[in-house]
Amino acid sequence: MHKIFHNQQVFLTLTLALLSLGSLFLRDAYSINLAIWMALAALCAASLRFVTLIGELNFAIAAFYGIGAYGAGAALTVYNIPFLPALLLGGVIAALVSLVFGYVTLKTKGPYFLLIGFAFTEVMRILYARSDWLGGNSGMVGIFPPSAFGSYFPFFAIGLCSVMILALYLIERSSFGKVLTAIRDNDNVVLSVGINVHMAKVVCFGIGSFVAGIGGSLHGFTNNVISPGDFGFLLSTFALAYLKVGGENSPFGPMLGAIVLLALGSVAMGMGAGEHIFYGAAIVIAVLLFPNGLVGIFSWGYKKLVLDVRSKGEALHESRPAAKPLHKKEQVNG
Amino acid sequence: MDKRNIETSPIAASAAGHEVLARVTNLTRRFGGLVAVSDLSMEIRRHEILGLIGPNGAGKSTTFNLISGFFKPSSGRLYFDGKEVTGKSALEISRAGLVRTFQHGSLMRSMSVYENILIGAIGGLPHATKKERAIRVEETAEMLGLGPYLNEVAGTLPHGIQRLISIAIASAPRPKLLCLDEPLTGLNQTEVMTTLGVFEKIRQVFGCTILLVEHNMKAVMQICDRIVVLHHGQLLATGTPDDIRHNDTVVSAYLGKRHGD
Repeated sequence: MHKIFHNQQVFLTLTLALLSLGSLFLRDAYSINLAIWMALAALCAASLRFVTLIGELNFAIAAFYGIGAYGAGAALTVYNIPFLPALLLGGVIAALVSLVFGYVTLKTKGPYFLLIGFAFTEVMRILYARSDWLGGNSGMVGIFPPSAFGSYFPFFAIGLCSVMILALYLIERSSFGKVLTAIRDNDNVVLSVGINVHMAKVVCFGIGSFVAGIGGSLHGFTNNVISPGDFGFLLSTFALAYLKVGGENSPFGPMLGAIVLLALGSVAMGMGAGEHIFYGAAIVIAVLLFPNGLVGIFSWGYKKLVLDVRSKGEALHESRPAAKPLHKKEQVNG
Repeated sequence: MDKRNIETSPIAASAAGHEVLARVTNLTRRFGGLVAVSDLSMEIRRHEILGLIGPNGAGKSTTFNLISGFFKPSSGRLYFDGKEVTGKSALEISRAGLVRTFQHGSLMRSMSVYENILIGAIGGLPHATKKERAIRVEETAEMLGLGPYLNEVAGTLPHGIQRLISIAIASAPRPKLLCLDEPLTGLNQTEVMTTLGVFEKIRQVFGCTILLVEHNMKAVMQICDRIVVLHHGQLLATGTPDDIRHNDTVVSAYLGKRHGD
């Protein structure tokens, strides 16, 4: 059991490293841009997945992504703060706002929390549109990464997304991550052994929002222009689509979902069709046929093809120290 | 009843002293017009196993929720381990060393048994290293006979084992007072015997005091040092199992008969 998890960690690290390095070999501007958007989409979906550890659907993710983008954008263009501190500031502002927001709203659960997140996202969008110092309706322009990056900015952005996706996974595997999962399963039990459930939820939400905020900052630096309409609730919906299509039970799910759906979307754009039709169809198919998403299909295929073909004794013996307990179960029941 | 004599060693019997660990005085809780618990005073002594019994609707669960801080009392006072804890939150009370279980599913179904007990260990050892917590988990699992199941997903195991997992989670923080809410419901006779043995071990080895809310009268009579009987939210009787068994008011409350009929 532990060995498999350990392997997954290594596998995830390798995949992320390869994807980041692979982006260095992209030559045409369109592919490079698409790769960055895929990385940002994967990051959003990973952040959303992180908050699902406590059992909540964070529809406010678009708001914190937006706060990150506007925070970094304003720091750079209004206050002339240099690139790296500005980038970091986007994440920090998003995290700080989310800690206050989470402290108040995480007393609610399920649909109530989701609706508050949705409302907050819309409030923030209207707030940007009404704030002239943030560019109002037409948005903010001139958010450029330093020229010293040259052509390496895409690699930097994708690499940073990868590092954060990996960091979220490592937190999920830690004791704190176990506490979060336990809260989703049964928060009363966690509270009854003396763990501050509310604070754990707020911190989880804060971490997810920090990551979303950094993602938003990178969005601004990639697009050079941001406007209120970029950060509506549709962004949260798409993040959810990447997560569901990719598979929410695995750390690979968000990446796989984002890459596949954005690739489909770019093909659909080329054909002159709306990408949203593809997204819609993909979500319906994924939810109806593959509840564990694309990752579910892959792991099913892996089991069918690799494990069945391999000499049965070896593979099965290793993964089943359960023979003894099964025997005991009968004893206790009988 | 023989079982009790076998299970209770002389050491444990003498360890169940008269020092008070927790005390409630004049505890009352109203829900709208309903008085669920009315002017209840009782005490829990260190190292004893105290049974809290009563017919359905007697106020057992409410009392349980009041003691563990999940409900706030309408009036009355609560004392635990030498301090007043009236009005304290469930978190503060659990950190003071009072851990409770829940009647329906007191475990994390999607997690492994190891992870389930680990949550209890994290609660009890908030600043410990991974290693120290692992030792705690293994000690606890060993004590409750859950060793062979550590890597199994909790929700897939039989009911009897799931009950033990709940108790393991709650005893992993080594609470001063372990409050168990109907831990024997749905268990067969063999499983009840195993679980009663586990209570005795938890008391002796972990040094916990146990408050037991339970419907299984035979088991309560067998394992408890003292019993508190509630009826219509009020204290009806308190005493040793023998006192309770021969108490006419208790008998009539349970059987619905008037004394002397």
